[in-house]
Amino acid sequence: MSTVTPDPLAPAPIDRQGIRLGDVLFKGIAFVAAVGVTAVLGLLTYEVFSLAWPAIEEFRLSFIWTQGWNPNSNVYGALVFIYGTIVTSVIALLLATPLSIAIALFLTEIAPGRVAAPIATMVELLAAIPSVVLGLWGILVFGPWVANHLEPFLNTWFGFLPIFSGDPSQAGILPAALVLTIMIIPITSAICRELFSRVPRDLSDGSLALGSTRWEAIRRVAIPYAAPGISAAVLLGLGRAFGEAIAVTQVIGSGNTINESLFPPGDTLGSRIASSYIGASTAIEAQSLLYLAAILLVISLVTNVSAQAIVNRFQKARRMSTG
Amino acid sequence: MATKGEGRIMKRALGLMVIVASLVAVASVVGAATAAPAKKQDTSLSGAGSSFVFPLISKWIPALGSAYGYNVSYSPIGSGGGIAAITAKTVDFGATDAPLTKDQFAACKGCVEVPWALSATAIMYNLPGINCVLRLGGKQLSDIYLGNLTKWNDPRIAGNNGKCNLPDTKITAVYRSDNSGTTYNFTEYLAAVSPTWKSKLGVGVNAQWPAGLGARGSSGVAGVITKTPGSIGYADVAYALKNKIRFASVLNASGRYATPGLRGIQAAAATLPAKVTSEDGALSIVNPPKGNPLAYPISTFTYVVVPSGSSKAAELKKMVYWAVTQGQKFGPALLFQPLPKQVQAFAYKQIKKI
Repeated sequence: MSTVTPDPLAPAPIDRQGIRLGDVLFKGIAFVAAVGVTAVLGLLTYEVFSLAWPAIEEFRLSFIWTQGWNPNSNVYGALVFIYGTIVTSVIALLLATPLSIAIALFLTEIAPGRVAAPIATMVELLAAIPSVVLGLWGILVFGPWVANHLEPFLNTWFGFLPIFSGDPSQAGILPAALVLTIMIIPITSAICRELFSRVPRDLSDGSLALGSTRWEAIRRVAIPYAAPGISAAVLLGLGRAFGEAIAVTQVIGSGNTINESLFPPGDTLGSRIASSYIGASTAIEAQSLLYLAAILLVISLVTNVSAQAIVNRFQKARRMSTG
Repeated sequence: MATKGEGRIMKRALGLMVIVASLVAVASVVGAATAAPAKKQDTSLSGAGSSFVFPLISKWIPALGSAYGYNVSYSPIGSGGGIAAITAKTVDFGATDAPLTKDQFAACKGCVEVPWALSATAIMYNLPGINCVLRLGGKQLSDIYLGNLTKWNDPRIAGNNGKCNLPDTKITAVYRSDNSGTTYNFTEYLAAVSPTWKSKLGVGVNAQWPAGLGARGSSGVAGVITKTPGSIGYADVAYALKNKIRFASVLNASGRYATPGLRGIQAAAATLPAKVTSEDGALSIVNPPKGNPLAYPISTFTYVVVPSGSSKAAELKKMVYWAVTQGQKFGPALLFQPLPKQVQAFAYKQIKKI
């Protein structure tokens, strides 16, 4: 709509119309995607709570600390499953975190590139194994190995600890925790590797130049630099461990009691929902299972929010110390 | 913190999401393509449910095709899944080994339950080196699953198995962790023989198992049993036979040990009265009364669940009628005992309600 005659030497005007259309489309798609995901999360939470509502009204909060799950006499309580979820996930985390950091340090600091690349791919491929396959392996191969070798070994040497007492069992809390460890290692180690590869070269070189050993450089420079990211990675792994259902349901043995020992069967929130929701015999059983789902949802949300809070706090601290 | 690495992860995640999304899209297109003709031709019937009855249904499918030109498809997703599918009306019929509960009937809105096959639950065990057939009574079985009987050489078991020379191994009781019609049959039996079981754990597709360990599906139970010496568990008899897992003979009310073969199942069904009635369609032949020394006490009917007044009611009626009459002749080869006369008569009455 300009009245000026175009300069023949000037570059041809850009087709504004096209760009505007693209802009609008892009904005629209991005907006719909962002709002859509938020809406799905909100709707999902609402849906789970509203479907679980009859059970929430019936059992109130005492559901959380009630032990027992008998669909044939309508006794429902979540304690066994909350305990199972937290214990399996925390053990998995305690084992997976140092292993993941070690793998990541090996790949970034120690191994030469030719060795590191294939190993990194293999570790990440571990994440590609469908959990149902891992569960099958767990019940046919890994569980019997745990029952015949690992648990007797732990019992012989550490049997004085209540957690390693009692008869070995091929399905139970310990095998489930170990399968979860295998599942979260690829996630946490991949993130840790990214974090360590981002540690500025001059920082670690400087540390080495000042006479520190390689281990000191890792401990004093690389790990503190990556610390906030590592804690976020660990919490991401925890979220994965909390929610995993299929592999766990195959190896945890669907027990109904809380035991001191880690050997006997137990159950987790996700696993109980996966095994009992389909074909639940009464409406109140289905609603109670949804109550379990609501508890799991809350636990997962709290974990993720705290992961973000930790990252934010670390970042703020760093900005203040460097800037 | 730099975001280059995060960007890389994000890109990968995005790529993965695109792949997943396109797979979903392809799957739904394919699904729509296969589902579309179902609406045009009314001779297409889809079913889902019990894996117990699946071997029999797979024999019925081609026979129904040549008899009526019906195109029947069936997914063995388990009894619970079958009930869920027919309740949501995503299939034309569901199949379940456990009769529907009141709540399930209410949710299913006008569903009719018809007994259409008859078989038994086998008690499988793994005792390496023991070559005689184990004999078990209901009392021992309930004590094992209650956690009160933990060694194979306990006199309570060894007493009935004098020749077997049972070992000093721990008993690992294995149960189904998922909801299962086989569990229903098994707990119905335990409740019939043990007042403690009846009052503490009850009858259902699952239970608050106080001892032992749970495995998913018959395949999971079989997997644990074959890998664990000293274990005991249950599955339908055809499954146990097919997978070559040994199973026990079980004490019946006549004081005899019966095996879950066709004769044992037939003898259990023979204890039904000459005319059977049941309001919801469920029939039980668990732990039948004295008088039939061959009767296997953990026998069960398995059911088809069909909606009443559906658009395919005529075809469904024909199909179920065929199944309870001509379809029965395929049973014996698969360890399904043909339905007795009075159950067939009862099934006709139920079919009328469709």
